[in-house]
Amino acid sequence: MTATTAPAVPAATAGPSRLRRVGALARAETLLLLRNRTAVVNSVLSPLLLVALVPLFGTDEAPLGQALLAAAAGFTLVFLTYYNLVVTYVARREALVLQRMRTGELTDGEVLAATAVPTLLVTAVQMAVVAVGVVVLGEWRAPVDPVLPVLAVLLGAVLMVVLATLSSVWTRTPESAQVTTLPVVVAATAASGLFFPLTALPEVLATVARLLPLTPVVELVQLGLSGRTWDGAAVAGADLWWAALGPVVTLLAWVLVAGALSLRWFRWAPKR
Amino acid sequence: MHPTPALAPTPAPVVPPAVEVTDLRRRHGSFEAVRGISVEVRPGEVLALLGVNGAGKTSALEVLEGLAPAAGGSVRVLGADPRRERAAVRPHLGVLLQDSGLPGDLTVAETVRTWAGTLTAPRPVGEALAQVGLSGRADVRVRSLSGGERRRLDLALALLGRPRVLVLDEPTTGLDPESRRTVWRLVRGLVDDGAAVVLTTHHLEEAEQLADRIAIMRAGTVVVAGTREEIAASQPATVSFRLDPGAPRPPVPAGVTVVSAGPRVEWHTHALQPVLAELLAWAARAGVVLPGLQARAASLEQAFLAVADGADLG
Repeated sequence: MTATTAPAVPAATAGPSRLRRVGALARAETLLLLRNRTAVVNSVLSPLLLVALVPLFGTDEAPLGQALLAAAAGFTLVFLTYYNLVVTYVARREALVLQRMRTGELTDGEVLAATAVPTLLVTAVQMAVVAVGVVVLGEWRAPVDPVLPVLAVLLGAVLMVVLATLSSVWTRTPESAQVTTLPVVVAATAASGLFFPLTALPEVLATVARLLPLTPVVELVQLGLSGRTWDGAAVAGADLWWAALGPVVTLLAWVLVAGALSLRWFRWAPKR
Repeated sequence: MHPTPALAPTPAPVVPPAVEVTDLRRRHGSFEAVRGISVEVRPGEVLALLGVNGAGKTSALEVLEGLAPAAGGSVRVLGADPRRERAAVRPHLGVLLQDSGLPGDLTVAETVRTWAGTLTAPRPVGEALAQVGLSGRADVRVRSLSGGERRRLDLALALLGRPRVLVLDEPTTGLDPESRRTVWRLVRGLVDDGAAVVLTTHHLEEAEQLADRIAIMRAGTVVVAGTREEIAASQPATVSFRLDPGAPRPPVPAGVTVVSAGPRVEWHTHALQPVLAELLAWAARAGVVLPGLQARAASLEQAFLAVADGADLG
């Protein structure tokens, strides 16, 4: 043996940046999605369906375009982002792919983020398709505050990723996600204010509904688009952001709590 | 930590271990899968962990790989904690899990390219594929690979970052003899370049071929460890011969366990040479011929089976 140097960890050489690492895996995941023709077709068809259907149920509450965009944000985040990610994380875990990805230089967070990228891309495409649909229908109105809807969707997307990691904990197979996602899909969506105005509820129930994970997203989108709060009051200027504070804090709280639980319970390999 | 004997005339350069495991413990709920094992692997050295299924081999490796926390004791890989200092250790660690999956709809080349994109100093993709004999399968979807081809792809990924420490959990299980030899050749090449290797295996031949040192595990502990010769020596050697009825009987030397007294005599002893000398001297004096005389040291297989049967060894 000729080695005389200490085999300590060598001084860090410049490794791939975090972005390059995540990018490499995200590119592969996107390729996988594009090779799944059914998924590609669905991701374009379902928002078009929404654009076609919502005018039939149009309410007098808000202008059609704004109602469509709020519905697109809410439905896409839950039915696509959240549901798809639960299925993806569980499928990758059960196929022993997640554990394999953890044996390299990627950090745990990078593995989860890269796996989520294709779903997030499709989420963005779907919302864009609906936005274009709104323009085509001639229903576009300039938003009162363009920042709030974007913030709402970004925070909502982060929350959906985190909720999906948490839901995967008690989802044993991709198929059983149909059941384990019901609390978020049914309860959170039903009471989000998309199907009926929350003012129709007794005050206590309305408050509870506003604390559910999807409601603050819908509130913030409507607030930014039309300048109206959840109970229909019109606000502007500083009052607009003051009204936005509650939903933003609620979203952040959900991210923190669900994230902490997921950090504790997330499983990288199937139960043995 | 590594005292150099004061009286040694030319102290050999001290090479600290690349992998240092001290009193490692690991629990699954209330079950203690690893119950205090200590092993060391130096650069350029291969350690094989042998043991029946459930002996705790994989559970121990998962701590080395930084995938699971230790319940007690310590593990250092290149001087660092593989879990808490994962970012420092990982660029130098190659891991082959016993079972691991890859997305089936990527091609072989896409899979290697993706993994290379996440590493600090990857080999070129072509070189990595050539190494494991998969160059001709670069454009095949992973789904369509045979079991052996998939295992070789696993290995290509484990070697892709030019690791200085390699952890291989049953690297050749399910491989055909030719693929197995390819894997052995690759591992030997890395070791010659100074890599430290820890592997588990069910194949005694693999341990004999590859390992500098062997540790046999049972129920979460290392029951016996050492070189192949040392481990074999932990088992008694066997002396056997035939004695015709009526022939004078040799005196039984000290330290011999008589397994059979005749007509086929079989003795077990930990002191093969003196026992044999005594026997031969007696035969010469008494003028007795010992037909079918055999003397052999224990084999690794004997030691392994003895451990699997639950015997406690030195």
